[in-house]
Amino acid sequence: MMDAETAELLAESLGRAFRHESVAAVEASLAEVGWREALQEEGAAVIPLLFTRQGAANATSGALDDLLTAALGLPADPGTAFVLPEFGTYGTPGRVQDGGLTVRGLGTARMPSAARAVLLAERDGALQAITVETGGLCTRPVGGVDPRLGLVAVEGQGVLASGSTAVTPAAWENALASGRVAVAYELIGASRAMLRLAREHAVTRIQFGRPIGTFQAVRHRLAECLVAIESAEAAAAIALGTGDRVSPLLAGMAKSLAGRNARTVARHCQQVLAGVGFTDEHDFHHYFRRVLTLDGLLGDARTLTRELGEELLRDRRLPAAPPL
Amino acid sequence: MDLQEFRTGLDAWLDEHEPELRAESGPDLTLDEEMEHLSKVKRMTYDAGWMRRGWPERVGGLGGSTLMRAYLGEALASRDLIEPGVYSMTEVLAPTMIEFARPELAAEMVPRLLRGDETWCQGFSEPSTGSNLGSLSCRARRDGDAWRVTGQKVWTSLAQYAHRCVLLTRTGSPESSHRGITAMFVDMDSPGITVRPIRAIHGRDEFCEVFFDDVRVPVDRTLGEVGGGWAVAMDLLPYERSTSLWHRGAYLRQRLGRLLATVPDGAIDPGDLGEVVQMVFAFHARSRGTQHRMARGERLGPETSIDKVLLATTEQAVFDLVADAVPTAIAIGDDADGDRWRTEFLYSRAATIYGGSAEIQRNIIARRLLDLGTER
Repeated sequence: MMDAETAELLAESLGRAFRHESVAAVEASLAEVGWREALQEEGAAVIPLLFTRQGAANATSGALDDLLTAALGLPADPGTAFVLPEFGTYGTPGRVQDGGLTVRGLGTARMPSAARAVLLAERDGALQAITVETGGLCTRPVGGVDPRLGLVAVEGQGVLASGSTAVTPAAWENALASGRVAVAYELIGASRAMLRLAREHAVTRIQFGRPIGTFQAVRHRLAECLVAIESAEAAAAIALGTGDRVSPLLAGMAKSLAGRNARTVARHCQQVLAGVGFTDEHDFHHYFRRVLTLDGLLGDARTLTRELGEELLRDRRLPAAPPL
Repeated sequence: MDLQEFRTGLDAWLDEHEPELRAESGPDLTLDEEMEHLSKVKRMTYDAGWMRRGWPERVGGLGGSTLMRAYLGEALASRDLIEPGVYSMTEVLAPTMIEFARPELAAEMVPRLLRGDETWCQGFSEPSTGSNLGSLSCRARRDGDAWRVTGQKVWTSLAQYAHRCVLLTRTGSPESSHRGITAMFVDMDSPGITVRPIRAIHGRDEFCEVFFDDVRVPVDRTLGEVGGGWAVAMDLLPYERSTSLWHRGAYLRQRLGRLLATVPDGAIDPGDLGEVVQMVFAFHARSRGTQHRMARGERLGPETSIDKVLLATTEQAVFDLVADAVPTAIAIGDDADGDRWRTEFLYSRAATIYGGSAEIQRNIIARRLLDLGTER
């Protein structure tokens, strides 16, 4: 366990790292802070420190690449990107058939500058983590609703592997769980930023001779946002647990909650911000765009929630809740 | 005894005594039977020592972490041995007595509540005082070594069974608002008290009107300071949103588990089920944090309003799912199962009303947690 002082210092440095504009500068700053070493030494406990700040700063980096690469036991470094599953899904992005490797997935903002990429591929029903040269992949920027996030579409056929290791389904499940909790925290960070913006507006914007934050309709919307954020955060924290292993079941629930609740927060905050929240000049839209996109990484809320329901209907029993 | 020992010991004890602890007439028992059954469960758990854990020794407890209280109610609700709403009133009333009553009075009375020898009620709301608690008008006038109480309370849960009442009265001027309120501990058999039960929507005499006609209450029954009743009420409310909500969360999981085990194939939409299970999980996660903060001795405050909003929203979502899954049972089911789902569904509508309405909780969140200033 990290002591509180160390966590505080790390959190502050991470917060500073995300003030940089360019991905390259953020990545360099994260390296300076020693984020990968901290991840190795402290494990999952550093996830909330980094990802809530990344979300709150509307910043982007290759931290998710590092997290997933390291979770599969491979060396994480700024030159190694991770190929994420396609948007909304969590199936393996690679498939080996007749000796050839086919890839369809997503890359983070690290992908364009990375020399190598790690991807999970399925071969005859077994999983492999395959390392490839990024030169062998076709990548193109995904414009979409949030171009600042820097996602790229990744495709390839007959891609040459420079290395591969077998991965057990449980190991992939655990890696997914870590990634999902990380994205959940990023969603929570972005949600808190939206609430902060809406609150600032509510206490300064005057109508009918008083701040609009004195009107109950506005107050209750903002209260609803805080409830949504706090419940998502409590869920993420309990999924993270105190041991080394993030619970896959709880991580899926936490990410669904964070994704769905971020949409709730966005809806209320945009209504409170009204006209100004609809402009390109106000910061709100950056966060709104971000949460819409983050929800689709590693399985979106709708898919994960439905699959959870299907699984429970097969088992006909609720999973045990984490004990007191 | 730590929580782990407590859990292991209690689970084994419950395995052994479950047949005796189960309500005899099944799930559709009357409120009279339910109250009698609750007293039995409390007496058995008290005599075996479980109920005494987590309460201070000076009121008959055996000390130790409050997490044991949270787990006891959780274990009883998970096994469907108690109705948590009635059971958990202890978690609201006993801490008030411990903090605000004369030590001798608390030492005398609290064990009776814990052991189920007595039922207590909470006289807060009045006909013209619902959410606006500070405007209450039930009058207490000083007369020598006693108070003379005249006025009316309403929505007083279980007053028809209660031996005592934690009562809020107006001792200041009618305009004194929050400052002129005094709390007192009243014997319900005092001359001048009339109780009229009110039949609620789910068919139970859930709460009552209580009339006070020049009722004598000895001054040494005052709780806290004269004029300090608001502090007593405010101190009590966060408790209402901590351990008792944890117990209620366990009950919701048990009911959801029951639905899942018994529902016909195809009756539940998987997406709806997944969402409700996630809400139950999020409440559990939130409330678990609150239980641990309380156990560490932190003072609970306005942040517990978030717990209450979550519990109320979750409870209604659980029973909305039930209503979608077994609509026939709820609408026209005349067996024990249908009766219970219907009663519970109807009762769940109160979750956003009692114990501080959903609107009041959001007002608290806006003012105290989001620092939006006062309304107007």
